[in-house]
Amino acid sequence: MPPHLCQLCNTARAQVLRPKNHARICANCFIATFERETAETITSSNLFQPGERIAIGASGGKDSTVLASVLKTLNERHGWGLDLVLLSIDEGITGYRDHSLDAVKRNSVEYDLPLKIVSYEELYGWSMDQVVAQVGKKGNCTYCGVFRRQALDRGAAMLGVAHVVTGHNADDVAETVLMNLLRGDLPRLSRATSIVTSTPRAGQPKASLDGQPAAVSFTNVKRSKPLMYAYEKEIVLYAHHKKLDYFSTECIYSPEAFRGSARTLIKNLERIRPESILDVVRSGVDMAKLVPDADGNCKGACGSRKATEIEVKHDGEEEEEAGGGGCGSGNGQETGGEMAEMEKKLLQDDRAEEEGTETHISMPVKAVNGQRHDGDEKVGPPAAALVGEANGQGHDRHKHPPMSTATTVPIRTKQEKKAGRRSGRDAPPPRQVLGQCERCGYLSSQAVCKACMLLEGLNKARPRTGIEVGSAGG
Amino acid sequence: MPGRRAPAAPVDHSLCRRCQLSEPAITVRTEPLCAACFSRYVSTKVVKRMESFRVRHLEPGDERVLLLPLSFGPCSTALLHVLSHQLKGQAEKTSRTGYKLHVLHVECGNAATDSLLSKVRERYPEHVFSSCSLSDVLAVDGVPELFQQDPSSGQLEQEQGGSSPQGSLDSMFASLNSPTARDDLKQILIQKLVVAFAKQNNCEAVLWGDSATRLAERTLAETAKGRGASLPWVVADGDMLYGVPFYYPMRDLLRKEITAFASYVEPALEDIIVSEAVKPAVSTKNTTIDDLMKQYFESVEQEYPSIVANVVKTTSKLQATSLQGVETQCELCNVPLDGQAPERSRLCYGCIRTLPHLSS
Repeated sequence: MPPHLCQLCNTARAQVLRPKNHARICANCFIATFERETAETITSSNLFQPGERIAIGASGGKDSTVLASVLKTLNERHGWGLDLVLLSIDEGITGYRDHSLDAVKRNSVEYDLPLKIVSYEELYGWSMDQVVAQVGKKGNCTYCGVFRRQALDRGAAMLGVAHVVTGHNADDVAETVLMNLLRGDLPRLSRATSIVTSTPRAGQPKASLDGQPAAVSFTNVKRSKPLMYAYEKEIVLYAHHKKLDYFSTECIYSPEAFRGSARTLIKNLERIRPESILDVVRSGVDMAKLVPDADGNCKGACGSRKATEIEVKHDGEEEEEAGGGGCGSGNGQETGGEMAEMEKKLLQDDRAEEEGTETHISMPVKAVNGQRHDGDEKVGPPAAALVGEANGQGHDRHKHPPMSTATTVPIRTKQEKKAGRRSGRDAPPPRQVLGQCERCGYLSSQAVCKACMLLEGLNKARPRTGIEVGSAGG
Repeated sequence: MPGRRAPAAPVDHSLCRRCQLSEPAITVRTEPLCAACFSRYVSTKVVKRMESFRVRHLEPGDERVLLLPLSFGPCSTALLHVLSHQLKGQAEKTSRTGYKLHVLHVECGNAATDSLLSKVRERYPEHVFSSCSLSDVLAVDGVPELFQQDPSSGQLEQEQGGSSPQGSLDSMFASLNSPTARDDLKQILIQKLVVAFAKQNNCEAVLWGDSATRLAERTLAETAKGRGASLPWVVADGDMLYGVPFYYPMRDLLRKEITAFASYVEPALEDIIVSEAVKPAVSTKNTTIDDLMKQYFESVEQEYPSIVANVVKTTSKLQATSLQGVETQCELCNVPLDGQAPERSRLCYGCIRTLPHLSS
């Protein structure tokens, strides 16, 4: 059989079979197409402002390496004038992170982009290795996910950058869509497919503050996924044909059951019909519009729409990050996997309903908060769910009154005051009466944010003085 | 405490959890039940879903007819059995029934269903039975146009020239490029045919036999086929995309529970059930997206039955787009096209994937 010729240039030998449309094209045409399509995604959704400072969440893996390379290329080609920096999180997982960080360092040199590394150790006083030593291998993903979300924001704030881009690809997004269907999490389902997830003060007020990067607080960092329509396969191919330097590895600690399950499904789907990955993404976008109480859930994607307070809350708190922020398997229970746990919880719910022993503590809140809390309630540890509901009431309209007495251990740090002053008072807050963590000032629908709660649990077992929550100065 | 039967009597775990009289025959979501209690459990779940068709909702002198499409699979057969039982009970108690059933079998090429249909008719003589062939869908309004309007399908028309409806249906399927597309088209055509039949025969609603497991499969399968926008209509009770409301009375039961139920019924339902041969997952070449989801949920159902049920529950919370004020609907699957399709397309994205050559 004669070799196929590239369908685009008709001269070179076809080397790439594109999953999304079965086109056979040569390496050069592929690279050009990949870059053009990424640029289209960026321009069609108005992702960047001219001259904007952008932090690229760089893990050293293929996705973020390709993202850095493509953004650098496009920025120069199209004269976007973006000020790009690399931002890495060091979770402190020996044997996983140290090698990939080396890759990031090499990329920083090669692309001539400044690099900032923030570690869990310096932010929270705990590396993931230490967390795992404490809570075991099960459930540690919760810690990692919750910590990472904040860490990227804090790192960005340290750099004075209000916009972080991450390397999430189409496969990741499709996986998240299926995963949230499997675990019945509509709020996250509705967010999974937004290309921009923005915290309330990000975006709008930013324009006027341009040129004053120092004013960025870690509570108003915007996130986006420029590669969310790119196949993982094509990202690998792009990295291969551009001979990019990346480190390929999986986290050595346990992956979540739901995500693992969804990942297998996506891989099998791709084998049956490669187009289906983008079809899942499309379905996710369409379903997001059907989630009740989520009017305007296009949020960042179409900017100006009213980002309701409720929606944004969780956004600040945790995200559909790989590694699942707040997947709820939390607190390192030793019982089975995440799926088994949810199964148990659902069974109890069923039984309670059948026997009529159910107590609806949260009834009045339901009407206001709608689905918002569902995911957390369902899988979260009971204590956490209760706290959430109790506070939820007060939070919708007021700043939280100092609720609990016993649980508040005020470790007031410099950061907290700063954040409180800046974002709490300075920013024009028309409908953005959003709760902040009492301790660290991070966005939270609860009195104390998830990271601080997890930290409290950890710290209890390791008596220490002078724990610095969020020593990250602005 | 001997001699005293407190309400909280210690449970004998070797006996049925509910009646504490017989040996358990099956474990239902951690509860061991005997065959009788289990059958009651199944009927209750189904009957509960039929609330809106109770006797007392029936206006005097009125007659409500519901269409039950019967595939001879375990689920639709069990549904027929349970509802027949319910109707018998109603007739005995009140001398009338809340509704009447019209049973329809759609033949999709497998032959031996004639004898099955007469067996079912013998067993449940109180219902009206009909059967039709899938190729009858070509007589449904709008369907032939759908497949012939496009010039690129001209050759399809030529091939069809003078041949039987079955022949043209076959060539239509043969023109599709993948097993998934054929599966998808077949499901849609069956729905279209059933709806047309229901309208012709004054049936008020369609009662599908889909189990919770099947609905969960469909949720993920439709998602993977780019049909996420149509999910609310796929899984919710009482919604109508085609002008006749659909109900899924078996939606609270898992497939394995229904299969077990069918095996306990006396006299056995087995000789009127065609069990599908389980396709081993050998080559992905011929596996369809629906097959994949079936295999997946078969394993989830074993270990995590509540998660299966939860998928359905969650998906039912999605709100269907109102069909009022919708200008154009997909000509194949009826989903509203605004925003779901390329400009000036007659088909939605999901249907374009299935019928790429007709998409203009």
